[in-house]
Amino acid sequence: MASPCEILIETDDAELARQLCLSGQREARRIEQKFSRYRDDNIVHQINQGQGQAIDIDNETYRLLQFADRCYQLSDGLFDITSGVLGKAWRFDGSNRLPGQSQLDELLCTVGWEKVEFNPQYVRLPAGMQIDFGGIGKEYAVDKVLTDLKQHCDREIMVNFGGDCHASGPPAQQGAWMTGIENPLKPGDAAEVIRLARGALATSGDAYRFIVANGKRYGHILNPKTGWPATDSPRSVTVAAGTCTEAGILSTLAILQGKDAESFLDAQQVKYWCYR
Amino acid sequence: MQLKNKKIAGLLSVATCTLLGGNAQAESETWDIDSALLIYNETDRVSAIEPVINAKKDLGDDEILSMKLVLDGLTGASANGAVPSSQPQTFTRPSGKGSYTTQANETPLDDTFHDTRVSYSLNWDKPLDRNNRRNLGFSFSREYDFTSVGANALWSHDMNQKNTTLTGGLSLELDAITPVGDTPQGLTDMDDRIRVSSSEDRTLLDLLFGVTQIIDKNSLFQVNYSLSQANGYMTDPYKIISVVDSSGEPAYYLYEKRPEDRLRQSVYGKYKRQLDNKDIITTSYRFMSDDWGVRSHTLDLTYRVKMENGYFIQPHVRYYQQSAADFYHYFLTDTQAIPEFASADYRLGEMTATTIGVKVGKTLSDKHVWSVRLEMYQQSGDSSPDEAFGQLQNQDLYPDVDAVIAQFNYSFKW
Repeated sequence: MASPCEILIETDDAELARQLCLSGQREARRIEQKFSRYRDDNIVHQINQGQGQAIDIDNETYRLLQFADRCYQLSDGLFDITSGVLGKAWRFDGSNRLPGQSQLDELLCTVGWEKVEFNPQYVRLPAGMQIDFGGIGKEYAVDKVLTDLKQHCDREIMVNFGGDCHASGPPAQQGAWMTGIENPLKPGDAAEVIRLARGALATSGDAYRFIVANGKRYGHILNPKTGWPATDSPRSVTVAAGTCTEAGILSTLAILQGKDAESFLDAQQVKYWCYR
Repeated sequence: MQLKNKKIAGLLSVATCTLLGGNAQAESETWDIDSALLIYNETDRVSAIEPVINAKKDLGDDEILSMKLVLDGLTGASANGAVPSSQPQTFTRPSGKGSYTTQANETPLDDTFHDTRVSYSLNWDKPLDRNNRRNLGFSFSREYDFTSVGANALWSHDMNQKNTTLTGGLSLELDAITPVGDTPQGLTDMDDRIRVSSSEDRTLLDLLFGVTQIIDKNSLFQVNYSLSQANGYMTDPYKIISVVDSSGEPAYYLYEKRPEDRLRQSVYGKYKRQLDNKDIITTSYRFMSDDWGVRSHTLDLTYRVKMENGYFIQPHVRYYQQSAADFYHYFLTDTQAIPEFASADYRLGEMTATTIGVKVGKTLSDKHVWSVRLEMYQQSGDSSPDEAFGQLQNQDLYPDVDAVIAQFNYSFKW
């Protein structure tokens, strides 16, 4: 998951805690191995190397594709798992190099979820296109691990993968899980401590990955329609929702709304924290 | 509406439930219900009301269970097979109790025709592995004078990256017929009321082979061949045939009689394509031929137009043409030898039938769909065949059948 991950369980039973943590770790690794774009031995690699052929998929992959499809529709195309190739044009290393428009235009030809054909049996990408579950994978892993662990344990559990977290319910002693949101202006310091009883938090932003060019700040979340990041976005958006997956989608979409991030989140009637 | 003002959180939450709700083995919480009411009305003849409920559930991992219940209420009158006459004609009812009279120059219709049918079927579709599925089904149907049980098995195999599907299937049906007033002896005088049994039976065995080929992302082609063998009682115990004298007037009536075997073959081809504007065109053709001498051609065309706001409109045209069975006769004459088999049932005669209709529907949120279908059916044959003579030349020996079909559909999750 490329970030510190933790599973918190309030219990006196050290062996139970150890078992649950191991089992959670196994599940998280499984999801990462199966859906990471950076491996060449998994289903995502097969799909991306399909060269226009239909690739057989299992039920879990189908459900993720179905979810991505739903997000694409709900967001009017702003959430698009085929947009990962746009990253080739951008180097978010704190430098000041902007990509050329012609390079972006060329990459944009290989973006567009509507060109993907999928059903419960197979998925077919036009040659040259790629999918990337990066926008939902970690949040899905958080929710999935929590759901799995709860089947074997009646204690309340908190799963936290690099700040994206989901709690099954409040710990008996404290009444809530103390969760810090990082202030993007002061990395490493918790800007605000949120008392999370149950539910999930997810954060999107450009705390570490951005470019400053011509006096403007360009974050790493790209608009799949233009190939450019939204301008005037908050530096960081944290959303509270029922599941980490929902919170993650909403925070990403909020960033893409630029100056309208807050109005978008207001319309969703969710609790959120924006840092500008 | 711009995304910044659009509330998507609720629908997103539903989508997330679907994503996380399903462990690999999880079954879906809901049933997909498809309900329909069909109304069929022939001018001056049969009317039917048919409610249908179809329930389908995904048991998880693409294993699907479906059930169907059909009720069928029929009332009205049906042609009994006799030719019209210049004189009124009186027929004994099939039960033997009472009679009905047809006025001069009118097609004799038996007005005792009413029945209620209930049928159930159950289907279980299950993937065996990534490329193979099997479907098992059972059916049961019951009406006043007829009981039927059936079972079927269908196997399908995907190949060529799932672009080609081969299908093979087998079905068996056992029918028991208990005619009102018992089974008449075929080709004996109606007035003699000779009865041979109180019940009859027949078996039907069907074999099906099919290939479905996906041509491209937007179109597919399907070809099926089926072979069907029926054995047993296939005569309609309520149909008669007129035996006419030299002036063409009915002298007496015989009960009809059909062969006890029927071997039927049919070839079916379908092409379906989604156009660039998302409209869907479906065309199909069926050729059927059996050893009773009936050959038929069916051409069917639908065009589904996708409209704004989830509405669709779907015009439909169907054309059907069949040749007569070898033993079909408009009538027999009292000078000819009685043939081995004979029937004057208009459904076995030479005819053409045209259906023209339209279906309009709307997809509401989250897969609630309603639709209304309205169709007109017209069947016609040769009303004045060459063999007509005497008074028969003044009669309509193959009256048109006109019918209106209305169907209301509502599909939802439950």
